[in-house]
Amino acid sequence: MEFLQYFSAVLTPASLLFLGIGTIGGLILGATPGLSPTMAVALLIPFTFRMDPAQGLILLGAAYTSSVAGGAVSAILLKIPGAPANIATALDGYEMAKKGQAAKALQMCFVSSAIGGVIGILVLIFLTPLLAAWALGFGPSHLFWIAILGVTIIGTLDARSVVKGLLSGAMGLWIATIGYDSIQGVERFTFTEHLDGGVNVIAALIGLFAIPQIIEMLEGGRTRKTIEVLAVERHSIWASTREVFSKLRALGIGSVVGTIIGLIPGAGGQIAGIVSYDQTRKFSPNRDRFGKGESEGVVAAESANNAMVGPSLVPLLTLSVPGSPTAAVLLGGLLIHGIFPGPDLFSKHAAVAWTFIDSMLIGQILMMVFGLYIARLAARVVLIPPAILAPAILVLAVFGSFAVQHSLSDVFVMLTLGLGMYFLEKVGFSAAPMVLGIILGPIAESNYVQGRIIAEAGDGIFAYFFTGGLNIALIALCLASVAYSVAMEVRQRRLARIEGGAP
Amino acid sequence: MSDQRPAASGLQQIVPAGLVVALALWVTWVSFAVDDPEPYLFPRLVSLVLLALSVALLVRALTGKTLTGAGLDGRTLKNVAPAIAVTLLYVFVLADLVGFYAASTAAFFTLVTLYDPAPHDEIETWLKRLAVTVGFMAVIAVLFTLVLKVQVPRGVLF
Repeated sequence: MEFLQYFSAVLTPASLLFLGIGTIGGLILGATPGLSPTMAVALLIPFTFRMDPAQGLILLGAAYTSSVAGGAVSAILLKIPGAPANIATALDGYEMAKKGQAAKALQMCFVSSAIGGVIGILVLIFLTPLLAAWALGFGPSHLFWIAILGVTIIGTLDARSVVKGLLSGAMGLWIATIGYDSIQGVERFTFTEHLDGGVNVIAALIGLFAIPQIIEMLEGGRTRKTIEVLAVERHSIWASTREVFSKLRALGIGSVVGTIIGLIPGAGGQIAGIVSYDQTRKFSPNRDRFGKGESEGVVAAESANNAMVGPSLVPLLTLSVPGSPTAAVLLGGLLIHGIFPGPDLFSKHAAVAWTFIDSMLIGQILMMVFGLYIARLAARVVLIPPAILAPAILVLAVFGSFAVQHSLSDVFVMLTLGLGMYFLEKVGFSAAPMVLGIILGPIAESNYVQGRIIAEAGDGIFAYFFTGGLNIALIALCLASVAYSVAMEVRQRRLARIEGGAP
Repeated sequence: MSDQRPAASGLQQIVPAGLVVALALWVTWVSFAVDDPEPYLFPRLVSLVLLALSVALLVRALTGKTLTGAGLDGRTLKNVAPAIAVTLLYVFVLADLVGFYAASTAAFFTLVTLYDPAPHDEIETWLKRLAVTVGFMAVIAVLFTLVLKVQVPRGVLF
């Protein structure tokens, strides 16, 4: 029960202020279509640079949690999910709003998000120290394979093409080697002076996640889109809360599915929401009403996508393997404060780690309270035209990437990577595996080098890296994630061929 | 994340695949053509993986088996080209030359003007765009200069 000791650190005026700012900001950013939670958190990182590490992480954690829930606002009022995690919410939420039940749908969404979120954070609280204690015995070969596993899983699950996903991850691993080698100080791949210091992780995160979205916002040119925001009428919050608790089946399925999917690196909120929605529909006696404004659908989807948030941080905090792209960005936030997550996080930085986790628990309640009251305002944010939003994010990205090290080179790197990723995304590549490669590259390299030294003094490299139960299990997981994704890709291609689609 | 429609043409798959193969070849060559291999042990490993995957991608692109991604059509490219040009000019030339704030103000105002669907022949819309630019840049100045104390390049203007 160590986590109970650190609640007092969250309840200080400064921490509560950052928690409030992160929650409100996350709700508004999450409600804005085109701004993903990942990008929202990436843009916030430079602002935390001068903060106390715990407070900086409180801000980022609150923004992460509430931006996932905030995405439901535009899903319900516009049928435009603010983030992929809210796709399933739009199915029934929008139909409810069309029937004049927008307030009820929003209220049920925030209440079920908070319940799912609290369950997810409790799993994080109780599972993380156990896993961290177990992982304390890991050697360099295990940590090397874990880093490779992180890149492999995100590379295969997050991409539409296994080869492109893995290639994106491998490019990230290569980018991580640019600059001075950490052991001998030799310059590697620095074909321009701007790369002398290597590629800054935060600049890369901002570039890879923000720049492609900025350009995508402007793809429509000067066309004016007429967006109709459905009206939010008055509705009793208590009546909605009672109705959420009457949907125990949806709440249970959502929370369990979200928690399990959150623990699987790479799966993410989109899968959690859709799987939970689908399972709840199958078990519901009212399955015919799903898709036509059934509140059970909203409860299932929203409890799942927020229950996913806490468990997605378990592999991050214990093994340094982010469970989702947003968790990868949070890892960037930890790194700039000199906090390196891993098995010894809870012994070396217990205060920061527990304060961060406790703040996420309190953040769930704040998110529900603020969400219920500012949903109306958040819905108005979607009316900000892309012609203003895109330049605003661009300027923020430029200032943010400069602010980290006061280096213009970081801005150049940020823009180059971002523009490159825009074109790569158009041909099916994805930013998340590359980001994972950049973040996990140094972990993989340092453990590979250490492992080689140990291996050369012992039974040799093959025996060190490829034998032993844990090594074999980790290699098998890497291969299984690739094999599974290849099988899914082949199956999808076959289905498309049957339907007369793409070959 | 872009949508999942099939890519527009095979050429849009072949060209990037070819570029990635070229990058992989360069990384492999640099990693193996060094006197002291120690700093390049890990890059060598990565370069071989990169090379194998990029060749696999090129083969798939040439045989028409990789069709993921929405592709880029002429109209989209025409729409985004001005934004990309302004952004490149802003970051690579103006930011250091005229100063971060001057360059950002100019880039913000230019992009808003280029993509604002409101008519360009009405004084009110110009004033509105100007007001939004000044307001936003004021917020940025307060945030970065006063709150975060970030010293940005000044250049010849500000």
